[in-house]
Amino acid sequence: MRQFFPVEDLARDDRFVQTNMAKRLADTRSAVDVKKSKSKSRSASNRLTPERHDASDAARSLMHGIMVGEIQALEGAGRTAHDFEAGDGSGDTIPFELKLDMARQAWDEARHVEISAKLSDWMGTEIGQFQENTVLFEAACSNDPVLRLAGVNRALEGLAIDVFTQMKEFGQLAGDPFLEFCEDWMLADEVTHVKMGSDWLRKVTEKDPERRKKALEFQQVVDKLFSFGGARGESDESPIGLARRFRELAGFTDDEVDTISQMDHDALEERKAAVRLAQEAAGV
Amino acid sequence: MADETTTTTEISGDDGALPGRPPFAPWDRRDLPGSFDVAETARRVGNYKWTEMKLFEALGGWVATVPELDIKMRLGTHCYHHAWHAELWHKRLPELREMKPERLTVPANDAMAEFITAMTEPEDAHLTIEKLVGVYRVLIPRFVAAYTYHMNNTSEITDAPTIRSLKFALQDEFDDWRDGELMLQSLITTPDHVARAAAHQSKLEAIMVRAGGITGPGSIG
Ligand SMILES: [Fe+2]
Ligand SMILES: [Fe+2]
Repeated sequence: MRQFFPVEDLARDDRFVQTNMAKRLADTRSAVDVKKSKSKSRSASNRLTPERHDASDAARSLMHGIMVGEIQALEGAGRTAHDFEAGDGSGDTIPFELKLDMARQAWDEARHVEISAKLSDWMGTEIGQFQENTVLFEAACSNDPVLRLAGVNRALEGLAIDVFTQMKEFGQLAGDPFLEFCEDWMLADEVTHVKMGSDWLRKVTEKDPERRKKALEFQQVVDKLFSFGGARGESDESPIGLARRFRELAGFTDDEVDTISQMDHDALEERKAAVRLAQEAAGV
Repeated sequence: MADETTTTTEISGDDGALPGRPPFAPWDRRDLPGSFDVAETARRVGNYKWTEMKLFEALGGWVATVPELDIKMRLGTHCYHHAWHAELWHKRLPELREMKPERLTVPANDAMAEFITAMTEPEDAHLTIEKLVGVYRVLIPRFVAAYTYHMNNTSEITDAPTIRSLKFALQDEFDDWRDGELMLQSLITTPDHVARAAAHQSKLEAIMVRAGGITGPGSIG
């Protein structure tokens, strides 16, 4: 088995269809419809709630996205447990205890796949009904384990905290205790994973500020990717909220959450400006 | 009537002291002698830790390479079981006077290292049978044997902490062995599959026999 495993070779059965970020978001059944304009009614909420006219499709699309994300999180954690020798954290090594944490995360993510597969089935979705965006595993392919912690555990699992909080609320509002119960449990695990990322990033780069800087920059790049179109943010115009309290539990500082919030806000404004331009050009 | 298996709390003597009880209750038949001294126990535990590590790394690495969704999830789950065993052995080593656990975190011999290389070689998405055979028909049965051999031969009193960990680990090994066999039986459905599974098993088993098992020649497992 190779030391590193490329995203193109991820093993899937014939039901899965893989795609990239832009195409996945362009799916009109998505919770994040980038073509939707909210520019005229500033107060309109775009939050994923049962009231949205497209709530059923949007929630099912999001749950399928969660399921394939969990598969990749399982694969990514497994690879990090495999790809690096146990050592002092320098060069190509990671501390033994970090390997153990990655193995633990692999088990947690395996349960998350089980949970989200059952929830998808419960919501009437079939595996492969929506395309799979493989960006999570891509972030788990870096040759520097610290970049994996920043990109996967902090940025993407941080996003999972936001998404699960939103889905838990969705279950609550929709009167679906099954959904609410499951999201509550997954949320607890994700807070643990983000905290692992925060703690290990700090510990491994303790004496290497340059490496830490690089990792935090990579985290921002990944965070920005998911701020795309203002999909996640504190404004009600974003379908997914920013779960401040749980992020703090997971080791994010106030400043870090503020930075993400600002990035989300900028992305939302960018999208609205682009929609306005398109409308003007079309004479709407 | 009081016999060997009953005790009394009656106060005897003028000073109110309780009557003496033997240090070992009649139902406690644990024995003092064992086959392994501290150094030998540490050596074996180091071999266990190394092999459990190689196993959890392999399972973690293979998750991305198997297309069968249910097997992907099982491998992720079992990956943690073996990581936890490695952690138990890692923590046991300093208690056995090995303050640098990495020093003893080694394969029993070169053949054992060769076995792991051969076991982890299959990567292609069509080789799930080979991946599972190596783990569930060769290595895990060896763990079951090695852990049982150790548990039954070590001092039940001086080495009780190792026995406790062996029992926890064995429970996982038995459960995972059964999971693995179920997965394999669901995949092996044609004569060609049978031939593949048997060929790979005999190739790996031959290396394992040369290694003399997880802790090397001289014992079982
Ligand atoms: Fe997860
Ligand atoms: Fe996670």
